[in-house]
Amino acid sequence: MKRILLVEDDPDIQMVTSLALGSFGRFAVKVCGSAREALESAAAFKPDVILLDVVMAGMDGIRALRAFRRRPAFADVPVIFMTARVQPHELEQYHDLGSAAVIAKPFDPATLAETVRAIWKRHHA
Amino acid sequence: MTTVAPAGRVLPGIRTAKVALRRRAASAPVAGRNWRGTSKETVPVPTAAVDLKASYWAALIWYCKNGGEAGLLAAYELGRQAVASRVGMLELAAWHEELATTVVERAPAESRPTVARRASEFFAECLAPFELTRSGFQQLNATLHELNGTLQDRLDAALRDFEHARGELVQQLRVADEKDEVISIVSHEVRTPLTSIHGALTLLMAGVGGELNERGQKLLDVACRNSQRLVRFVSDGLDLKRMESGTSAFDLRAVEVAPFLRQAIEASRAYALQWGVTVTLGRVPRRLHVRTDADRLMQVMTNLLSNAIKFSPPGRPVVVESSCRDRLVRISVRDHGRGVPESFRRHVFEKFAQAQPSSARGGSGLGLSISKAIVERLGGRIGFRTAAGHGTTFFFDLPEWRPARSRRK
Repeated sequence: MKRILLVEDDPDIQMVTSLALGSFGRFAVKVCGSAREALESAAAFKPDVILLDVVMAGMDGIRALRAFRRRPAFADVPVIFMTARVQPHELEQYHDLGSAAVIAKPFDPATLAETVRAIWKRHHA
Repeated sequence: MTTVAPAGRVLPGIRTAKVALRRRAASAPVAGRNWRGTSKETVPVPTAAVDLKASYWAALIWYCKNGGEAGLLAAYELGRQAVASRVGMLELAAWHEELATTVVERAPAESRPTVARRASEFFAECLAPFELTRSGFQQLNATLHELNGTLQDRLDAALRDFEHARGELVQQLRVADEKDEVISIVSHEVRTPLTSIHGALTLLMAGVGGELNERGQKLLDVACRNSQRLVRFVSDGLDLKRMESGTSAFDLRAVEVAPFLRQAIEASRAYALQWGVTVTLGRVPRRLHVRTDADRLMQVMTNLLSNAIKFSPPGRPVVVESSCRDRLVRISVRDHGRGVPESFRRHVFEKFAQAQPSSARGGSGLGLSISKAIVERLGGRIGFRTAAGHGTTFFFDLPEWRPARSRRK
């Protein structure tokens, strides 16, 4: 597992997340500022995991997940919601939508890469 | 004879009917005139086995010829049977009509008025049981009507109460929904910038930004520690909420107590060092197991240990122990602090409860509420003993779990 597609519209969190994944996990991270951009560039990037923010301008993470799920090429790519919307009913909704896992913001940058790797392994177990 | 109606009221009418019957019988013409050879001695007494209509006709013909009390009694009995076998008054009238005209027509001209009168008498007597039933029915009906009215009133009142309660519930749900929405938005608005702050600080601490001078490092420590505290506060809040809403999943496995406690102590070593406190493992029975979610239970241990460490004077040990009695495993954490103030004891497990607001000690004020929720979800109980000046012991009890092999003994 090498390639992570990060879909996040907050530039600060983009930087922190990609630095954390790069420094602690040596992953190749492609950052997309919107769901549209992610859907356009995903096919070429061929991610192993998609990290998806929920609250974004334009298309939100939930609609983005549905769009990814409609594409056969991404049927087996785990989508992890990385979100600050983590009320119990929201977590249930993500689970029902078929997300592989949820990482609550704020996350621990030191363990983020390890967490993502563990989720990927579990997904392919 | 009196009949007692279900409502406890005496139905009138029977006695009256009997009196009427006797009066009519007395005024009936004296029997003795034979008519077309029918014997006056044999009154066709109806029995249940005989077709009621045939019985009616036979008895009517007999009475029209002979008259007399016996015939009227037979009419009364016929009426009673008609009521019992649910033959209606109209049906009876139809039978009567069908035959009576013929009987009157066929009678000798001179006796036609008598025959006609007798036919009417017979029919009237036959209707007497219907009358009794009807007046009883009317009374019963009145009672039922009254009862119905009362029931309707009660039903109306209950319905009004229900509507009112429903309205209130809908209102409460709406408020709860709005509250949830506000909490969700506020939570999101706190968590988002905190993600960047905490992320950036942790990366700096990890050396991603290069070396800092001593003052810079100290400042970074301050920022990092406080950012950590805020992160713990929001994640504790979520934990508690998930625990309360029952949406957190527990992964139950057999866990051996002694190694688990050693691991918990090891995990708190750095924190203990920071406060100048040592944590030691006291008595723990060997091969003692509980069936639990190890991560969740570790969270409880972390909370209890960090509290004990924070409230212990430097140099005094915090002691972790375990015992087993009546198949209940008790795990306890004892400190040598000042003890829980009397006034605060009943608030210890409440949310955001802190005996004294202390910025130095940190903590979200949710640790013990979460611990309580976890222990209770695991089927256990949490509590504490405290004495001013002698420290506090927090403990929790969980059911002992015995592996299949030792359970067979």
